[in-house]
Amino acid sequence: MTAGILLLVSGLVFLSGSALLAFYWAVRDGQFNNLSESAKTIFDADEPVGTPTDRFPSNTRP
Amino acid sequence: MNRLPLIFLGVFLTFASSWVGLVAYPYLTLGQMQPLPDEDTGGYFPPSMPGLAVAGQSVYASSGCVYCHSQQVRLAPLSTDIQKGLGPRQTVARDYLRAQPAFLGTMRTGPDLSNIGVRQPDANWHHQHLYEPKTVTDWSVMPSFRFLYKMQKIEGQPSDDAVKGLRGPHAPPPGYEVVPTDDATALVAYLLSLKRNFPLPESPEPKLE
Amino acid sequence: MKSQSLISSLNPANEPDSLDSFERAEIDASTKLPVLLFFGSAIFWLLVGSVLGLVSAWKMTHPGLLDGEAWLTFGRLRPAHLNTVIYGWASAAGIGVGIWLTARLCRVVLMHSKLLIAAAIFWNLGVFVGILGILAGDSRSIEWLEFPGYATPILFVSYAFIGIWTIIMFRYRRPGHVYVSQWYLFAAFLWFPWLYATANILLTWQPIQGSAQAAVNWWFAHNVLGLWFAPIGLASAYYMIPKVIGRPVHSYYLSILGFWSLALFYSWNGMHHLIGGPFPAWMVSASVVASIMMFIPVVTVAINHHMTMRGHFGALKWSPTLRFTVFGAMTYTLVSLQGSSMAIPSWNTFIHFTDHTIGHAHLGLYGFFTMIMFGAIYYIVPRLVGWEWPSANMIRWHFWLSAVGISIMVIALTIGGILQGFAFYDPTVSFRSSLDYATPFRIVRGLSGFLLLGGHIVFAVLFTQMVLRIGQIKEGPALFAKPSESQKEGVAV
Repeated sequence: MTAGILLLVSGLVFLSGSALLAFYWAVRDGQFNNLSESAKTIFDADEPVGTPTDRFPSNTRP
Repeated sequence: MNRLPLIFLGVFLTFASSWVGLVAYPYLTLGQMQPLPDEDTGGYFPPSMPGLAVAGQSVYASSGCVYCHSQQVRLAPLSTDIQKGLGPRQTVARDYLRAQPAFLGTMRTGPDLSNIGVRQPDANWHHQHLYEPKTVTDWSVMPSFRFLYKMQKIEGQPSDDAVKGLRGPHAPPPGYEVVPTDDATALVAYLLSLKRNFPLPESPEPKLE
Repeated sequence: MKSQSLISSLNPANEPDSLDSFERAEIDASTKLPVLLFFGSAIFWLLVGSVLGLVSAWKMTHPGLLDGEAWLTFGRLRPAHLNTVIYGWASAAGIGVGIWLTARLCRVVLMHSKLLIAAAIFWNLGVFVGILGILAGDSRSIEWLEFPGYATPILFVSYAFIGIWTIIMFRYRRPGHVYVSQWYLFAAFLWFPWLYATANILLTWQPIQGSAQAAVNWWFAHNVLGLWFAPIGLASAYYMIPKVIGRPVHSYYLSILGFWSLALFYSWNGMHHLIGGPFPAWMVSASVVASIMMFIPVVTVAINHHMTMRGHFGALKWSPTLRFTVFGAMTYTLVSLQGSSMAIPSWNTFIHFTDHTIGHAHLGLYGFFTMIMFGAIYYIVPRLVGWEWPSANMIRWHFWLSAVGISIMVIALTIGGILQGFAFYDPTVSFRSSLDYATPFRIVRGLSGFLLLGGHIVFAVLFTQMVLRIGQIKEGPALFAKPSESQKEGVAV
């Protein structure tokens, strides 16, 4: 039973600790600095804002 | 935007706190609970389970009874469990002390079984019911557990533990009898042990109007 | 791409060096084998799980169906169905989507694919052994954790590989912003091993006593929904919706807020499955409060998705991915609000122990998560195999069979459950009557299962055709051409 508690508490400390570290890193790295630009990071020159990227396949044979 | 870091910090601590509240706390309190001594008999509440009943728990788990049957009596006015005769009082944590696992259940496709040992104290009724539920309760949707039983030829005298009074399409033809396997015997012993009608100070019997 | 050993990827001394820019197509191509392995496995288990579910459903109204054999008894088929669809279909699909999305968002080619291939093999092995174990009678009868003790470590090894891979990819990602989807995935892949380990240790390896088990059980089960499935589903929706319509998320700030408030409130919800049960009142109350506080992250997500989609709902006509994803995203809002209401004690009184809960579970795992996974798979697979889906009509069939099927199922179980619950509550009504109320709705549910299975068979055929390159020959990559105006207008629904 005490082995179980030890395992869980150390797991809790490890995970919460790493989560806190991750959060601290994110602030330091400037992840929260410019949120409106951040939203556009999934677009680029190839697939820019304004271009749809999905459609039903064509039914007609070429 | 400056408040964002603080918000996130708070969130992390609270997530970890749910672990403390919902896992660590029950572990340390409910998990350490002890049975109460019964001064009259020298035994304990809840009473210790006979070995066969403990084995029956495994059969209950293996057969998946918990997916149709709950084992929880709730208090009025949030429920009418007690009024409907599911038990004389609310079931509390101490009632499940010896359960491994605690079959609280979350569905009532079939009736609650917290006190089935009180409502149906006859082992043969349980064997009949498990073998072919529809022959005991004609509107039942419970499946048959006849795979927990053996059909065999009667050698001389019928066996002592043969199930009596079986009817229906799988009833034994003349010269044959149905005998419970060890699993069926254990399961019925477990069902008969399901009685949460002993007194517990933390769950007094409510007075019904 | 340079290959390096696993050890050197994990060594903190090794700094990621170059800023090689990779074409998106190269990144997609690098994810092909692991992602297709997970998708293929997931779709296989989806078919198995659908059949198990269908048979279980019909057994509830026709108990004589396939009875008499131990391995086919309802008490084993039902948990086999549950675990097959949760671990075999949903989790595997989620991992596949997560792998592809992580590579895209890290903007680097996939590293250490062998780790992921090993993870896929372990995953399938664990699921296979677990399901056979349940049918053989070794189910632990702990909901969502029925797999016997000899199957769970196999799954855990797989989870560990995936977690390690996620950390490595994040380490070697192209510097820059970490998109919200990536936060969700990162968190999901790291939260889940913790949940799984805690639950397994406290329920099997070092079991705690009595009703404390139920608290741990439902802490686990509910957190699997909110901290494993919901983040993966939302990660996909937050990427696919903007990407398909070509418009960034309406309020990125709201999306970040939504993520953390989900984490804050969700993990306390578990006890609402046990209202009225043998627990200290404060635990149950805390869960009820948390369940209602869920309004905040859920409404946040709803506003965000709606405002992003506003003016673009016409896109649902020409994008399969969008159709499935938006259906799923709307269902997320619906099922979460339903869940909050179910946690209110005076309402819970009526619906606890009824089919209403089952309807809710399917609305969440199918209506939300599974539909979003379908949408993601429709987007991803062509980009892996360089080939278009062979039939638009089949995709439409899949969508409508799934959408109509789940709607019928949920409506039937919701109404049936409420009637059942009122019967339970009324002291003058017998148990038999409550059964009579539920039965016709269970039959309707059973019929809806055929629709769902039909949709899944269509989906499986499409997937197989894609992987084996069967189907209409195309001149070029039509998928990547812009839709013409006439096509957008005239496409059949």
